[in-house]
Amino acid sequence: MLNSEKIRLMTRMASFDEVEGKKDLAVNGYFRGDYISLQVLKSAIYGTIGFAVVLALYVLYNLETFLSDFYKMDLMAFAKDWLTKYVIVLLIYLLISYFVYAFRFSRSKRRIRAYQQQLKKLHQIYEEENERRR
Amino acid sequence: MTNILVIKEQIIKYYARFEIYITPVLKFLVMLISLIAINANVGYMTKLKNPAIVLIIALLSSFLPVNVMIVLAALVIVAHMYALSMSCAAVVGLVFLIMFVLYFRFTPKEAIAVLITPICFVLKIPYLVPLAMGFLGGPLSCISVACGTIAFYIMHNVKKSSEQMGGGEGVENALTGFRYVIDTIIKDRTMILLTIAFCITIVVVYLIRRLRVNYSWYIALGFGAVVNILVILIGAVSTDADVSAIGVIFGTIISAGLVLVLQFFIHNLDYSRTEYVQFEDDEYYYYVKAIPKISMEAPQNKVRRINPQQTPLASRRNHSIDDE
Repeated sequence: MLNSEKIRLMTRMASFDEVEGKKDLAVNGYFRGDYISLQVLKSAIYGTIGFAVVLALYVLYNLETFLSDFYKMDLMAFAKDWLTKYVIVLLIYLLISYFVYAFRFSRSKRRIRAYQQQLKKLHQIYEEENERRR
Repeated sequence: MTNILVIKEQIIKYYARFEIYITPVLKFLVMLISLIAINANVGYMTKLKNPAIVLIIALLSSFLPVNVMIVLAALVIVAHMYALSMSCAAVVGLVFLIMFVLYFRFTPKEAIAVLITPICFVLKIPYLVPLAMGFLGGPLSCISVACGTIAFYIMHNVKKSSEQMGGGEGVENALTGFRYVIDTIIKDRTMILLTIAFCITIVVVYLIRRLRVNYSWYIALGFGAVVNILVILIGAVSTDADVSAIGVIFGTIISAGLVLVLQFFIHNLDYSRTEYVQFEDDEYYYYVKAIPKISMEAPQNKVRRINPQQTPLASRRNHSIDDE
């Protein structure tokens, strides 16, 4: 016999599994701190790439001055200047990503909790079915 | 009003049922319009202007993820730039790279906003995008809308000064060309002003729409429109950006009207779609097609009274008993 309540529940769970579920279950494998630090680390890599591109654009833009004044320039001051800019930009970027991913973690935890409730209910239905069969 | 509601229900019902076919067609159309707009504005590579190639890319997009569509569109633009000049392609490619780094990190789900923004610019209703994204997305939608805005202005500026950008051969020329391209693309005040104004509008609309007050959507729309107009006008005056005041005011009002229409379709509606899922238990394999039910009733607020009150009828009855 088909149990329509069970089918409905399983359909809902399967459709969750297919879309958000995959990501949420992956997120669920981490502790909160681990997940957020991993994502912030990824952000740091992306941010560094972005900053490197900006620096490359800047250098290309001023290439003529660089070529002519290369030996006159204070390279240490130049490096220091850009390093401070890099640190400031990266810190802001990482702060934003910390908040974003902390929010996303708690959101997917909430969805997982709902999913676990459904699992529990499904388990109950199975138990009932087994009882009846006996 | 009932008629419009019925039409809305019909549209939603059809969308839910034929979602599988409608979405690819829409994707195809969006990509086709984007490619035509790109070719019309910066079509320097004649090979890519071939209608057959345009059609093939658009058809491919109809079943590719939307994010791949964005990358394809960006590649097409860079290819056109390459036909114009090497330095132009390098600058535009690097700017796109910076945008992708930000975009893919935070809002990879809002790809369609990135594509729609330049299209709305071409259609002269760019203010529709921040107002609509304030409702549909969140504060992070700023990134996708900003990417779309910048992409449009890159094409716009390259088109405006393509003759100077063409440049000649040789390292010397390439370097001056490079500086020129960066100056025209990155130092465009209008682009910077509109990007900032759009971000502010998105955040304002988002914050107000989430307030728990009646009509928060309408308040958010009105406030967002006013903020949009004010920020752009004040910014234009203080930075000498090239923006027409009448265009901003009327454009925003028209966009707000369009958002009202859009809001009618999206407010309080769960656009659940037909889903095909498979699973199994001990006895069966299930291949389920789940079609969402759509109710015709408008959501009603129920008022639950905590202290029991006399109904007017009951109190009248009591009076008449007293009279007797």
